[in-house]
Amino acid sequence: MEYIARRVLYTLFVLWAVASILFLMFRLMPGDPRAAFIDNTFTAEQQQLLLVQFGLDQPLYVQYGKYMVNLVQGDLGMSFIYKRPVVEMVMEVLPNSLVLTLTSLIIAYAFGMVAGAFLARMRGTWVEGVTIPVVLATRAAPEFWLGMVFLAIFSFSLGWFPAGGASSAGITYDSFWQQLVSPDYWRHLALPVITLTLYLQGLPLLLMRSNMLEVMEDEFVTMARMKGLSEWSIVMRHAARNALLPVATAFALGVGFSISGNVVIETVFSWPGIGRLLVTAVSSSDYPLAQGAFLFITVVFVVANLIADMLYAVLDPRVSHGSAG
Amino acid sequence: MRDFVKQTRRAFLSSVAATAVLAPGVVLAQEAGEPIRDIVIWARTQAANPQAYTAAQLIAQAWEGLGLNVEIRGVPRPQQSDVVWYNRDSWDTTMWQMVGRPERSDPDELVYNLFHSTTAESGYNFVGYNNPKFDAVAEAQRIETDDNKRQALIKEAQEILAADQPYMMLVHPNKVFAYNKTVWDPASIVEQPGLGIKNFWTFVGATPVGDQKDMIINSSDELNAINPLYISGATDSWITELIWDRLMRIGPDGLPQPWAAESYKWVDETTLELTLRDGMTWHDGQPVTVEDVIFSFEAPAMGDEAPMYKPFVENITAMEKVDDKTLKMTLKEPSASFLTSTLSKINLIPEHIWGPILQDLLTKPENAEAYVEEGRIGSGPFKYVDWSVQDQVVLAANEDHWSAPKMDRWILRIVLNVEAALGMLRSGELNFLSDYTGDPLILVELAEADPDIEIVESTDIGFQFLAFNNRRPPFNDANFRRALSFAVPRELMDGAAWNGYAVPSNSVVSPVLPFWYDDKVLPIETGPEVAKKLLEEGGYQIVDGKLHYPAGGKETLQP
Repeated sequence: MEYIARRVLYTLFVLWAVASILFLMFRLMPGDPRAAFIDNTFTAEQQQLLLVQFGLDQPLYVQYGKYMVNLVQGDLGMSFIYKRPVVEMVMEVLPNSLVLTLTSLIIAYAFGMVAGAFLARMRGTWVEGVTIPVVLATRAAPEFWLGMVFLAIFSFSLGWFPAGGASSAGITYDSFWQQLVSPDYWRHLALPVITLTLYLQGLPLLLMRSNMLEVMEDEFVTMARMKGLSEWSIVMRHAARNALLPVATAFALGVGFSISGNVVIETVFSWPGIGRLLVTAVSSSDYPLAQGAFLFITVVFVVANLIADMLYAVLDPRVSHGSAG
Repeated sequence: MRDFVKQTRRAFLSSVAATAVLAPGVVLAQEAGEPIRDIVIWARTQAANPQAYTAAQLIAQAWEGLGLNVEIRGVPRPQQSDVVWYNRDSWDTTMWQMVGRPERSDPDELVYNLFHSTTAESGYNFVGYNNPKFDAVAEAQRIETDDNKRQALIKEAQEILAADQPYMMLVHPNKVFAYNKTVWDPASIVEQPGLGIKNFWTFVGATPVGDQKDMIINSSDELNAINPLYISGATDSWITELIWDRLMRIGPDGLPQPWAAESYKWVDETTLELTLRDGMTWHDGQPVTVEDVIFSFEAPAMGDEAPMYKPFVENITAMEKVDDKTLKMTLKEPSASFLTSTLSKINLIPEHIWGPILQDLLTKPENAEAYVEEGRIGSGPFKYVDWSVQDQVVLAANEDHWSAPKMDRWILRIVLNVEAALGMLRSGELNFLSDYTGDPLILVELAEADPDIEIVESTDIGFQFLAFNNRRPPFNDANFRRALSFAVPRELMDGAAWNGYAVPSNSVVSPVLPFWYDDKVLPIETGPEVAKKLLEEGGYQIVDGKLHYPAGGKETLQP
């Protein structure tokens, strides 16, 4: 209990620090939010009006104070260019980002763990000689390149999958849930997920493999062998469970990393998501929107970390979080 | 004779130079001023705008041939805007562009706003051009309502600019569009000069040939808003002009023509009488009334509810309902571009919806730009159906409109990846490529391989140029600007930087607007010899390969 309270306090501190850094970072960056409006016939008074509207005519500490007060109340402000509440904008695209990220991560980690365990058993055989370079190559290939190659093959040449977007032209949905269960949505999701999965699978696979190699040398495995347990039972029930711990951490961190790093996939496949929102916001100096989007990503990151920590205790009884341990 | 002068001059110069070498204490003040500082050309990064960056490199090369040191600074757009637009004394030259918009079919915006001295401090005249003679012409054309007299004034303005060279005009780029001609009847696709085939008239008139009756078009920009009181972004305006009608529309010939107004009549120079078309209705079924029209022109002036539209209605002093079909507008002062810049621009909005909304907003800190009217009720040829953020916008044909579209639906897809857009055009996921930012040659090859795809190339109203900061010496001297401008062959710009997909330019008015364009401004004689001669006439000298100010000229600025 005390541990959880400590963790929550620590999380709040991290969020405050990130929010403050974000606030300063965007204001110190070159560029003026008015620049996004230059192409309109603006007079000096109108430009001044914009600054007042954005609250940018006030001293920095006043802006910061307002920002923090609003933030505590869950108000991230109003986007300069979209003229809509930031929370609303982020919530609109976050589900698509989460679906893309979580689907890819789950497939990548499920595959990576099984394949990693398998490859550990194949140590020294020709299978290892062929597979490891392939895994390394897909892991090292840039996402946009991989994405373009898949587009060229599976969309342009074979016509199996659409070339972009989240739904076919003209299909409309009443709610996100309705969209989520439609086959059309998953057909559009396929190529981005395959690309992201290939990119993500290398880490869990290699991690699992090296952990397995290590664990298989441990005494309890020798013990199990001496007990005459089947090889399957040794690998899956005893060794794999121990090798899994670092992979679980990597998964949690992976959620945070890929949510923010998906901008490349989102751009190649025109997939709606928070990465694209972020790029638009930063390039047009839309401070509230950029701050808000980054803050959301931070929250996802921190929460994923917290869950990983908790998960550790479940997976490995030896890890205990109390002072009693 | 001339050669003789040149030779003696050169002989004299070299003797002066020799003296200088012999006696280091002797200053050249009598003949040449101080050397000119290193010159900076601001530009977008090469990746962001490869054509303009290549142009900057070619320009830098030409100037270095005149004895200048030139540095190109490629930066992201916000940073470039910050320097050029908000720190107007701080830069020498910059690559810049003006984009084509329907309302720029009238030359007023480009002639007046870009170069009138009153807009130099914080308005559109960011180069600080100041010529009282030009100001007078720009003002005169603005209030001249006789088209032929105004045409003469617009041409005079172009000639003054050609002589003064506040900008070094480079090209009017060509835009490339494509569509599937097995889906759309080529005879029904309208090319509007300066805008290409992506325009209102195509969307209203395009006739489906087969079963596919939805037009699926693309944009590579994210949408910002769909709001009749907010000018939010280029792509957004494609949508607003379809949902909300206007009293006039810019026709395929670039001139305003009656639309929701059946006809108009100038009673005198400042009084306009407009008659509305019969039987127009809003998308919710209510009739469009004279009161609605008057409200639409009052709304932008209410407080600061619609600051972007406000300037366009400020010239209106009074509006009056004459009868159920007729209204009268009174202007503060005569305005030649009123039909284009006001009547063709202001969206007609229903008073029964926006009246209560605006009354409520007047008491709140947000303005109408931040208001999302979910129904998006207009009276235009298309009705709003759906917008899924970052993905697509769906509009349906308004069958009750007096000019009902032939297609069923108009679907705009946001496609960020140029190659994917091409793939989608071939697979039928798109059937009208309305936004193509890639290499035109790739599109041409694609059309050769696929006979269903028709390509249309069209010269832009917008233009690409290098801006001289007319405030900063030596760019405050027209002789110097002329020399630097004419040092660069325009054909080279078109051929080498824009790969032939552009036409050379020496006027802010595009040749696609033949009524306003002054064909005397081109061709111009260019090249290093022309430039050197112009520099010499202005008193500038090249000493030991370095360009110097005229006699007595001091360098007071940092690069």
